[in-house]
Amino acid sequence: MSELLPPPPAAAERQNRFVSDNLRRIFLQIYRIVGNVADAQDLTQEAFIKALQRQDQLKDEQKAAHWLSRIATNTAIDFLRRHGRIAYCEVDIHTESEQHSPEELVLQSEHRNYLEDGLRLLTARERAALVLRDVEGCSAEEVARRLDCSKATVRSHIANARIKLRRYMARRKR
Amino acid sequence: MTKHPSEAMLALFAAGDLGSLRRWRVERHVAACAECQVEVSEFSELCAAVPAMMEPPEISWTKLAVEMKANIRLGLEAGECVSAGRYEGPGIFNARAFAVCGSLALLLAAFLLERPTPRIEPPKAAEAAFLESSGSGIQSKTGNQSIMLLNTRARDARHVDYLASGNAMRARYVDSETGYVTVNNVYAQ
Repeated sequence: MSELLPPPPAAAERQNRFVSDNLRRIFLQIYRIVGNVADAQDLTQEAFIKALQRQDQLKDEQKAAHWLSRIATNTAIDFLRRHGRIAYCEVDIHTESEQHSPEELVLQSEHRNYLEDGLRLLTARERAALVLRDVEGCSAEEVARRLDCSKATVRSHIANARIKLRRYMARRKR
Repeated sequence: MTKHPSEAMLALFAAGDLGSLRRWRVERHVAACAECQVEVSEFSELCAAVPAMMEPPEISWTKLAVEMKANIRLGLEAGECVSAGRYEGPGIFNARAFAVCGSLALLLAAFLLERPTPRIEPPKAAEAAFLESSGSGIQSKTGNQSIMLLNTRARDARHVDYLASGNAMRARYVDSETGYVTVNNVYAQ
């Protein structure tokens, strides 16, 4: 029977630091693509496990954060491809900040539903392209690299996403 | 005035996503077209609002982070467990080498099963108890009397190991069908 040895303390320490340093950023990145906390949590864990299991493939440690982002984006897009659409679900939310009044909570919830309905109109790749370009500020070249497609395709995804959202907002204003 | 640019062109122009030639053309048109100026300004507002739209609801980040870190550790450990069984490394650790090692291990296990087992001989050998382990279980003998702890499925089992120390003996068996491990510990007094 093979005995499983734990990773040496230095390696384990390095892994823990890598996770702590990047956890929030990667969670947010995935959340913005998949649109709900529960799936974002599962996919963040999956992305870190994939990255740490393949860390020997990483030649340059300076690029670790970028490499991890790419794994995270692909993990989220694969998930949306498998599930077909963005699925928002109720989550048990416990806030760490001050308590809100019931009226504030209702308004927040309505506003969130309004935004989520709009974002639901986007395809997985449109949403991913929009997140990378408009939220993370990546250049079109960088988005193309991360999504593994051409710059022209990225521009098309971004334009479609903006048009859909603008039309949705215009409809809701009327 | 030139023809209106497409909605997609304006959507890209609003956030500086056009190449220089197209940007120049659209810019020239927009400067002279109030209708397109409105559209561009709406797209600009939208682009500025997108980051806030994508923010998650307020969540208990500390709790979530602790949970995720624990699950990541667990996932890595589970991954190691699975890969340990199917790893095919370079060089001498290839499939052929594993097959040879496996055969040797089987031969060794067969030898161990048939081999007389180690005995723990206390100082007064005549009347004292001693323990004996075999493929079928562990036996405690005192003079002419003996008590045996039978491992009922031991004959079909893959024997794992014996461990004798002081007045105790341990034998472990792996059931060849279910994979369950049975550990027998016997202490002589």
